Amino acid sequence: MMKTDKTIIKETKYIAFCVAILSVLMQAVFLVLRLWSYKVLLSNLLIGATVIANFYFMGLGVQKAVAEDEKEAKKTIRTSQSIRTFFVFVMVVIGVTVPCFSIIATIIPLFFPRVAIALRPLWKERKSKEGTE
Amino acid sequence: MLEIAVGIILGCCALGAGAAMIAGIGPGIGEGNAVAKACEAIGRQPECKGDVTTTMLMGCAIAETTGLYALVIAILLIFVAPSRFVDILLTVIK
Repeated sequence: MMKTDKTIIKETKYIAFCVAILSVLMQAVFLVLRLWSYKVLLSNLLIGATVIANFYFMGLGVQKAVAEDEKEAKKTIRTSQSIRTFFVFVMVVIGVTVPCFSIIATIIPLFFPRVAIALRPLWKERKSKEGTE
Repeated sequence: MLEIAVGIILGCCALGAGAAMIAGIGPGIGEGNAVAKACEAIGRQPECKGDVTTTMLMGCAIAETTGLYALVIAILLIFVAPSRFVDILLTVIK
């Protein structure tokens, strides 16, 4: 079995950390708006886990691809992307169609990794400041 | 007449979902090209593997968000929009 690269584990941990923080924020917003129910929590847990798994599998795909030659790498990453998109599609369809999940709370967490990446420069800046002090 | 109107709504929603998923092609091609170039870069400078992998992972995640937007639109058009549109149609008729 392929050993997971340290970089991928580190980045997945960062994404998981950000997704957890943003999920707590989302729950708080739902509570404040008086829209909170167990459905919101269940949807958040389902899609939060899905996006973290999606990122981790993307990392594994990239790790496998960089060990191959250019043409094979392209094929590997395209196959990986198709499979992951299908996986996310299935999870979102479950979240949208099964009555014990909330539609809005299913869709919002899909964009948490994008927010985490947008916040990354700030995180890096803070870390580098801590390193120089 | 009502059946035809509902049929048109369902058909348009399905067409819209299909059209939205065209955007799903882009991330696949983009990620493939990014990884191919990263392979080239790592081949030239193997000591930069960690940095290249980190940057590429983040780039791939950003590229994939475009596909996710399309996926969300398609799912909403298939599973949520038809019932809402039919409700609106029935309200207008009544």
